[in-house]
Order: sequence, then structure tokens, then C-alpha cells
Amino acid sequence: MENVNRKFPNNDDTSLSPNILKNLSMIFVPELPLLESRNWLIHLHYSRQEFGICKILLQEELERSNDMCEYANYVQGLILRHEGKIQESLESFQTCHTLNPRNVNNIKEVARSLYLLGRHGLAVEAYLEAENVSSKPDWDIYHNLGTCLLHVGQHVKAKEYLLTAIELSHQEDSYVELAKIHLLENDIQGAIGIYNAALEWYPDSCELATSLGLLYMTTGQHQRAFEKLGCALARDPMCTKALLAAGCMMQNHQDFDVALSKYKIAAQLLPESISLWNNIGMCFFEKKKYVAAISCLKRGNYLSPFDWKTLYNLGLVHLITKQYASAFHYLSAAINLYPTSARTFMLLAVALKNLGDPDNARHAFEQAIKLDPSDAAVALNYGVLLNSVGEQEKASVQLRRFQELAEGGPGLDQELLEAAQSLSLSLTKANKSDLETDADEKNKKDEADDAGRLVKAGEGSVVAPEMGPDEV
Amino acid sequence: MDPFYAALSFYRRLKYEECAAVCTELLEKSPYDQAVWTLKMKAVTEQVYVDDIEAEEEGIAEALMDNDTMAQVARPGTSLRTPSTEKGGPNQGLRPRTQTGRPLSGVVRPATQSGRPGTMEQALRTPRTARTARPVTSQSARSVRLGTASMLTESGGPFIQLSRLNLGKYAAQGNIAKPLFEYIFYHENDIRHAMELAVQATQACQFKDWWWKVQLGKCYFTLGLIRDAEQQFRSALKQNQKVEIFLRLARVYIRLDQPLSALDVCKTGLEYFPGEVTLTTEIARLFEGLNNIPTSIKYYRDVLKEDSTHVEAIACIGMQHFYTDQPEISLRFYRRLLQMGIYNAELFNNLGLCCFYAQQYDMTLTCFEQALSLASEEAVADVWYNIAHVAIGVGDCNLAMQCLRLCLSADSNHASAYNNLGMLEMRLGHRDQARAFFQAAGSLAPYLFEPHHNYAKLAEEMGDLQTSYIVIQKALQAYPSHVSSQELLQKLQKHFAFM
Repeated sequence: MENVNRKFPNNDDTSLSPNILKNLSMIFVPELPLLESRNWLIHLHYSRQEFGICKILLQEELERSNDMCEYANYVQGLILRHEGKIQESLESFQTCHTLNPRNVNNIKEVARSLYLLGRHGLAVEAYLEAENVSSKPDWDIYHNLGTCLLHVGQHVKAKEYLLTAIELSHQEDSYVELAKIHLLENDIQGAIGIYNAALEWYPDSCELATSLGLLYMTTGQHQRAFEKLGCALARDPMCTKALLAAGCMMQNHQDFDVALSKYKIAAQLLPESISLWNNIGMCFFEKKKYVAAISCLKRGNYLSPFDWKTLYNLGLVHLITKQYASAFHYLSAAINLYPTSARTFMLLAVALKNLGDPDNARHAFEQAIKLDPSDAAVALNYGVLLNSVGEQEKASVQLRRFQELAEGGPGLDQELLEAAQSLSLSLTKANKSDLETDADEKNKKDEADDAGRLVKAGEGSVVAPEMGPDEV
Repeated sequence: MDPFYAALSFYRRLKYEECAAVCTELLEKSPYDQAVWTLKMKAVTEQVYVDDIEAEEEGIAEALMDNDTMAQVARPGTSLRTPSTEKGGPNQGLRPRTQTGRPLSGVVRPATQSGRPGTMEQALRTPRTARTARPVTSQSARSVRLGTASMLTESGGPFIQLSRLNLGKYAAQGNIAKPLFEYIFYHENDIRHAMELAVQATQACQFKDWWWKVQLGKCYFTLGLIRDAEQQFRSALKQNQKVEIFLRLARVYIRLDQPLSALDVCKTGLEYFPGEVTLTTEIARLFEGLNNIPTSIKYYRDVLKEDSTHVEAIACIGMQHFYTDQPEISLRFYRRLLQMGIYNAELFNNLGLCCFYAQQYDMTLTCFEQALSLASEEAVADVWYNIAHVAIGVGDCNLAMQCLRLCLSADSNHASAYNNLGMLEMRLGHRDQARAFFQAAGSLAPYLFEPHHNYAKLAEEMGDLQTSYIVIQKALQAYPSHVSSQELLQKLQKHFAFM
């Protein structure tokens, strides 16, 4: 009994004291009707991303103030947007706007919600209103005006606004948007200039450097492209886009082992990239490892059956390995998906020739010439075909066309020229049949090599939406 | 001839119905002849006997209101519920998944195919359809059949009136108790009575008979008293080691979602019975469930060394080769299955696909034709779906679309078909239709990442960032390490997250 008695007073003491304090506070501190009294708390939780607590607080606050608390509405809008409920967040911001029509931020957020909902016209109007209301020029407004106008399709105005935004504050996003517009207008030099200006402000940005490098690549300035890509990789060795582009450049310079080592890193980060597998496949192809090449290309094809470049390369590798029927299948698939490539028709013609169908091969060649009359390789191969079926005159016409094109066009492959020489030799000694076949064989190889390179140069790092290949 | 001898002879020659008929006649003459009574019990039981080791399936109720599981959020690699740890196998982009994120298996088998649902909603949304989900109750096909057996009206009432049976009396007689137990368990499907009998019988033999412990464990397991079942099996194992007990104990641990313990049990079993096929198969299945495909394949290979006609092992290895870019080798495995006399739509379908990817074009269409002629209602959809893939492979988009529509007409819930139709429509530039198809696919199969990803990309292109943002998050839920989705999300987050 004693023990119990001793304990009780102790307990009572501790439990009493806070009660007293509470009562005191109830008496002395009056209830303040200030709407903003708990804004600091809301802000604290919001900036810590504690949205759960924040929402409870907001609900209390909004109930207490009959939806009159501007800041609570504002933060609620932000949280709703973070959860992806744009329509509801738009409503919150609109209440904010009615509560305080002089606040630029409210108008900006309303406009932003409209932009996110895809109503770009309305968003432009809202931003223009924000511009009127705001006392000092704000880069954010101009930047967003630019992006909205870009979506509406008014490129000139968009450019102007973005330039004003950049003058006010050098933001990375504005530069990227501006470059995008230039690219849409096919003004690559302009885009390069913008990226260069941006890089002066943001020398650390991996994305900017990569984009610039890719642009240099498309314009053929390989040295500069290489520098920029090297910069990007030095900043972030895991930047997949830069890795792919650098690998592609190495591949163009016949440095296949280095390219493969780049791809190896990229393969761990991007196991589902079609262009990656395609490029790896072509690397193996150049190293004459045909089985590996085929299996890589096939994986690329499995991941994206709609990608005609992979199909084209598969056809090419099968041609080289003398599996003409398979080559024909892949090439015809490539043509079905993308019927305007002259090179595909040329390879198809070669496959048909080897399958013993010279008539259709000739049709295919004619189609190829129709699609791209300036391709020297097509003319040469057509010449070889005509020669092999015994139409020497037409063959020499094609050979002449080839020579004209070769003189006019950029430097051609050495092997291609050699093949042309042997063809002209065989044409002069038309009755010797063994030479013909010899030239024939060589030709196939050349055109194949050449075409392979063409495709590789064509790839950047595109990631197309994939389809789910799914089997029972 | 003595009628009882005749009955015995019928029994031995597996003519159970005749045997039971003779016994009934004999019992009418002398109702208290225990030998005849026992024989009739055995004959009737044999008629409905099923090998029930692999037959149980977990119903919705067991899976959701499950209080036996150890951890709600298990560490990766220790649970069949969170199988997302990948160990060098092909990833999700290459090998499609079933609903719960497990890679497609080579064969369909109970309980291992669908996994457990994460939420009530998910469990209820996918009732037992063509190939996906689970039965609504655990008393599945086997039990239904048993239930009807006991309900057959027999002339002169049921054979044994269980409620009037003096279980204590029979429990003491070993030679009658065992057939009686089997009769009650398999024929009557009256687990409660069976358990009562087993309890009394095991007491009567002073807990020395392992057989009764196993039966008791079976009863507990069926009633959902998993821990008690574990105890019984463990104690039975101490007395006598049998493959069946190891298997049943492993099943207990699978039900408890402790795959590692189940693996331990199977491996101990392998020490007693080296090379035992059923145990090795169980291990392989467990590894497959844990998403550790390479190890699983290793065990399936072990199975094949012992039993070169093991269908499941051949099918699983074949499938693994298919998804790791070796369709030629996979073709060899499936051809072996064909040689062994398996002749169904699924096999021909797989053969056709392997032929196509191994570039044996002449065989492809013949195989698919055969598959179509053999296919049942449910498989037809999948066959058409795969033919559509072949059509896409040769670049014939119109044919592909027609095939996909045929697939949908056979199974209107085929999510992948909707997705692919959407892709084809997108190629033609019909964005609105594509969007509708992606939406349909995404709502039908939230476990596929492709439709979500495609839909998000499309929405982003069309400027509908809100939808894109919501949908891409779903895609990442289905496949957290999908790079393209991650990039898109990062891009969108710039718009949405704002301080």
C-alpha cells in the first residue's frame, strides 16, 4: 500500500503541470483572426516535400478561413499539380487569382496550368495578362510565352520572347527552347550558335554539350563534335546520349574496338535501345564477326520491328554471308516499312540477282534509280547486272553514268572504284566470262560496305516507342 | 467362384466400378463384413483419387486475408511477392511478364503462374479468365469433383453415414482406419471428419506412425492451419524420409511465402534422394518464382539429365533460349516435345515463332496453320497475336492489323493486342485511335509497361502533359528500370514539381 501511495502523488504532479499551462495559454492568448498566421508552417512542410502533413494543414486552414486564405490555396494548387491533378490545381489557382488579382504569381500559375493541360492559346492570353500586371520584366513570363507560342506555331513571336527572356536572365531552358525553334526551321547554324552561347554560361551542362556535339556531327564538323562529346563525357561518363554519339563517331573513324567499349558501357544503362544494338551489330559486322552481328541486329529488330534501318542492316549482313533468301525477306520488310530508300532497293536487286531472278532485279534497280538518280553505287551495280545477263551496251551506259556521278560527287570508296575498273575491263573483253564473275563478286562486297556506312552515319540516338513483343 | 475373390480380382485389375458393385451385393447379405466393407471403400476412393501434391491453388481469400506471412514488406530475394530483383536474366523489355512481375514461364501450372495480387482491387479485377488469374476459392477443380462424388444419390442412402460413424472404434484398428481415412478425405471430401479420425488414430498408435502425421498435416494444410501442418510434416520427417513429405513441407513454406526455407527443404530432400526429379523440379520452379532464371534453368537441366522426357523442363529451357536470342536452339527443344507426342496449339505456336525468328520461313506458316486448327477458344487469340508479329516482321502492316483484330475478336481482353494495334495506328498517323487503343490496353493490363509508355509518349507529343505525367508513372510502376520512361518522367517533372 505504501508503495502505491508514494507513486500516486508523483504521477499527479507531472500530469497536472501541462494542464495548468494549457489553461493559462487559453486565458492569456486571444484567438487571432489572422489568415496568414500559419503560412510559415505550411511553407515549411511544403518545402520539405511532406505533402501528407501539408494537406491536412491546408484542409484545416481552408476550413477555418472559408477558402479565403490565399497562400493555402496556392500551395494546394502546387501539391495537386505535383500529383498530376492539373484540372483541380487550376481551380485552386483561379481562387487565388480572384482573391488577389494583383499577384503576378497567381496569374503565372494559372497560365502554367493551362499550358500543362495543353490549352496553349488560353495560356498565351494568361501570360500576356501576367506581363501587364507585373511591375518589372520577368524572364519566366517571357520564356513561357515563347514555349506556348511555339506550340501554337508562331515561331517568329516565340523567338522574340525567348530572346527577351535570355536577355533578362540566362536560363538553360530558354536556350534549349530557342535552339529547338531554329532546328524546326532547319537553321542548324543558328542552333549551333545558340548552343555555343548557352555553353558559355553553363560550361558544366552535359546535355548542352551533347546536343551541340550531335549538331556538329550532322553538319560534318567531326573534330568539333568530338571535342564537345568528349567534354560531355568528361562531366558525366554515364551520359548515354553522348556515349552513343561518341561510339558512332569512333565507328565512322574505323575504330571499332573503342566504339565497342563505349557501347559496352551504354548497354548497361540502355539495354533496350534499338540504335545501340544496331550500332553494336554494325561494329561486329565491320570486324567480320557476322554471327555476333546478326544476333545483335536481331535483338534490335526484336525490340522494334518497325525500325527499317535495322532491317536494312540485317539484309546487308545476310547478303554478305550469302544467305540470299533471308536477305530478301529482311530487305522486302524494310521496303514495306519505308519505301523511299534507294539503297534498300539496290540491295534487294542484288539479292534477287543472286536468287536467279534478273528480271525483277532489273525492276528493283530501276526503282532505285528513280528514287535517287545521283547514287553512283546504284549505277555501278546495275551495270554489273546488265553485264552478267549479256547486255554489254546498256552496261556501259550505266558505267558511264557511274563515272560521271563519281566525278561530280564526293570522294567514293576505293573498293568501289576498283570494282568499276574491273567492270570496264570485263566490258572491253566481253567474251571472257570468268572475269565477269570475278568483278561481280567484288562488287557485291563494295556496295555492301558502302551501304553499311551510310546507315551508321544516319543514326543519332533515337528512342522510338517500343512495342511489346509477347509470346505465349 | 467366391464373390469376394471376384471383387478382389476386379480391384486388382483396376475395374473399380465392378468391384464396388460386387461389394455392394455382398454387403447387402452380410452388412458387418469388415473385409468387404474395406474393399468397397478402397474401390470407391480409387475411382476419384487424384495426385494432390501439386493441385492446390491459392484462392483470393487465402491470398489476401493471409496472416501466416512473415513480413508484409519482405527484403528483395526472400519473397515470392516482390520478385523484382533481377540477377542477370533477360529483362522485362525482352521477356514479357505475368501480372505480378514474374517472367512468363515455360509451362502453365497451378499457383506458380499468377503469383499473389498486391491489392484487393487487383485480385478482384482479374477473375479467372483465359490464362491469367486465380480461382475465386481454393477448393478448385479437384474438390469440386470430389464434392459431386459424395452427392451422388445411391440406392439405400450413402455408403457410409459419417455422422453416425464411431470414429474412436475404427481409429484403433490400423488396417481399417487407413482406407477409411482416405475414403473420407478423397471421396467424401469431409476434412473435419477426416482430421478427427487422424487425430484419434495417431493417438492410438502412440504417435509412432509417420503416415498418420502426414495425413494430419494434409488436413491442417487444407484447413489453412499452416503452422500446424508444418509441425506434423517435420515430425513425420524425423521418423521417416519420403519424397512426398519433403514436397508437402516445401509447399507449406511456399504458402508461408518463405521460398528460401522451401529451397532448404528441397535440398535436404535431395541429400536423401540424390537426383530425385520431383524435388529438383520444385527447386527450379522456386528459382523461377524468385526471378532467378539462370539458376532455375540450371536445375531444369539437372532434371533433364535424370529424366530426358520431362515436359516441363524441356519447355522451360526452350523458352529461356527463345528469349535470349537463340531461337535455333529453342526450336530444337520444342521439336523434341513434338517428337515425344505432345500435339497442341501452344506447341505449334511456339514452333512457328521459333521458325520465324530462326529464319526458317517455309515452316513458319505451316506451323501456325496447324496451331490454328488445333487451338481452343482461348489459345486462338494468342496464335493470331503471334501471327500478327510475323506479319510485322515481314513488314505487312495490313495483315498485322487484320490478325490483331481477329485476335481481339477471339479474346476481347487481350491487352498486348490492343497495344500493338495502337502502335500500328500511330504509324498510320491516326493518333486518336492509337490513344484509345493504348488506353484500353493500359486499363486491361496495368502490369504491362508498354501501353503506358506508348500512351505517355503520345500524350506528350500532343501536348497533353497532365495525362502523360500520370501515365508514365504507371509505366514506371510496372517496370521501374525502364530508361526511356525514366527520361520522360524527368523531363515532365521539370514542369510539375515547383518550389
